[in-house]
Amino acid sequence: MINYILRRTVLLLFVMFSLTVLAFSLAYLFPGDPLVNLSGYQEITVNQLAFLELKYKIDDGIIRQYLAFLERIFDGDLGISFNSQSAIFEQLSRIFPATMELAIYSLLISTFFGIPLGILAAYYHRKLPDVLIISSTMVGYCLPVFWWALITIMVFSLQLGWFPSSGRIGLVYEVPYETGFLLWDILQADIPYRYEAFINALKHMALPTFVLATYPTTVLIRYTRGSMLNVLETNFIKTAKAKGLSTWQVLFHHGLRNALLPVIRLLGLQFSTLITLAMLTEVIFSWPGIGRWLIDSIYQRDYPAITGGLLAVSTFVILVTITSDVIYKWFNPISRTHVDD
Amino acid sequence: MIDYNDYQDDKNHSPSRQLWLLFNESHPARIGLWLCISLLLLSILAPLISPYSPYEFDGSALLMPPAWADEGNVDYMLGTDDLGRDILSRLMNGASLTFGLSIVSILIALFFGLILGSLAGLSKGVKSSMFNHVLDLALTMPSLLTAIIIVAVLGPGISNMIWAIMLSSLPQFVHAIRNAVHDELQKEYVIAYRLDGANMTQVLTHAILPNIFEQIIVVATMAISNAILDIAALGFLRLGAQAPSPEWGAMVAESLDQLYSAPWTIALPGVLIFLSVLSINLVGDGLANALKRRLER
Repeated sequence: MINYILRRTVLLLFVMFSLTVLAFSLAYLFPGDPLVNLSGYQEITVNQLAFLELKYKIDDGIIRQYLAFLERIFDGDLGISFNSQSAIFEQLSRIFPATMELAIYSLLISTFFGIPLGILAAYYHRKLPDVLIISSTMVGYCLPVFWWALITIMVFSLQLGWFPSSGRIGLVYEVPYETGFLLWDILQADIPYRYEAFINALKHMALPTFVLATYPTTVLIRYTRGSMLNVLETNFIKTAKAKGLSTWQVLFHHGLRNALLPVIRLLGLQFSTLITLAMLTEVIFSWPGIGRWLIDSIYQRDYPAITGGLLAVSTFVILVTITSDVIYKWFNPISRTHVDD
Repeated sequence: MIDYNDYQDDKNHSPSRQLWLLFNESHPARIGLWLCISLLLLSILAPLISPYSPYEFDGSALLMPPAWADEGNVDYMLGTDDLGRDILSRLMNGASLTFGLSIVSILIALFFGLILGSLAGLSKGVKSSMFNHVLDLALTMPSLLTAIIIVAVLGPGISNMIWAIMLSSLPQFVHAIRNAVHDELQKEYVIAYRLDGANMTQVLTHAILPNIFEQIIVVATMAISNAILDIAALGFLRLGAQAPSPEWGAMVAESLDQLYSAPWTIALPGVLIFLSVLSINLVGDGLANALKRRLER
């Protein structure tokens, strides 16, 4: 196990190295002066120039520049944005929780519905409930997320008027910024309208979370069903049945435990897909998260912001994937015996 | 015991024929195949059979609802958009962009995937294990995210988008082909062929590729359905196909302002995206199932 963790760490370091090299080279790949692309200062005065050239080591070799770039990342300095002329790192850490909040709630919802439905489908294998569940997951699986978001807005927001269609909370509520996780912040805040603000935030959250949860739910259902069906064919399930255990006992004590192991890994993998889908969802629901921010920076050709945003998102995705891999191995000793990984 | 009945049995078809028969048994898969074929025909023939040009304005028919609505007109079967362009013609021409381009770019990616994957599958040792790990991580990056990164670097536009789709779908092909080649190399018929004196190129082209071909097709169909979604999403974000283009995602983006006043301008392109992804997925699922069942026989 330690060996495995070590190897994954080496891999992580290697990938982080390639990612930072890529992010650094973007400054040269984007049109314009590399110094401008790295620092974000578009009109550099003579006094600034000397200072910036020293800081970014622009006259030294590429390797020194790259090392200076790494150093700045560790200091939390990603330059300033062309557009707002404010520090990118600060902006990122302010908007990242919004995306996380959306993604985490969606993942929770899809786990809550996906796993039981998957088990149900496996239990009624090739009977009516299974067919119904599987065909509806097929539909959910094929829905383009941006279109699905628009349709839900059309129905629930414009026609029925149940939920608001944009933003995180109504403009009348002022919630002090603490962690960036809005629901938590509201509960912690010392404000008289806490209850109303909480309900309002929940209403704003309903549609984006629902839309975002659709895809991972369908994947989870299909995966849980497949994994459960595989486990139900194994010999230890037959033994358990032969012992005279009831169907539910077999399902929950023997089947579920083993079937859910691969699902843990899937949850980690799903998170990265979720972040990408969240980018689209954020654009449609005007959710002030990292996806909308990144897409806006692409429109505005805000190169330092694009570099910073890409670095943050991809680092996060890779960290989550590797962590979930390690957790999976931790819980599942059988998978450790395979030599190839 | 050797089962001589195999030779008298009328079920003794060639493997690909068996696959086709098994595939045909599943109704969803057949429906998917028909849908797929008609979309493919549409994307080739659209310019010939569409009633209007996708860019043709008609100032007298702005935002006309589809023909079955009260204010509809049979001249414009599926209505018009805010510039008076016929939606049916735009949708038909969009097929070659969203559906056709995804297939073309996946085929190109598949070609390079085959080369890289077979090279990786035939190599051994540290080099191959390192390569595998890097691939694993490239795979964890969702294809849309990779595509957005690539478009962010290259700049928006339809040709850059194709590059992005090809590059972001390449890792999964290399991975799948590498693993398939690797598994196949262990099998006895390949070893026998090698003992006969076949060199690696011959092993690859005569023994391995014909046998992993069907698995690769399944991977490719899944990749196509992903590519359709990615192309549409990039078009919707205005990072792929640009505004006047009838690409389905871009059409949705263009009509965003009419979400309330003219919902059909948004609903219809989405339905087509959905149908094309569904058809490809049904075919892919059906094929994967048929392969599995042929193996069980």
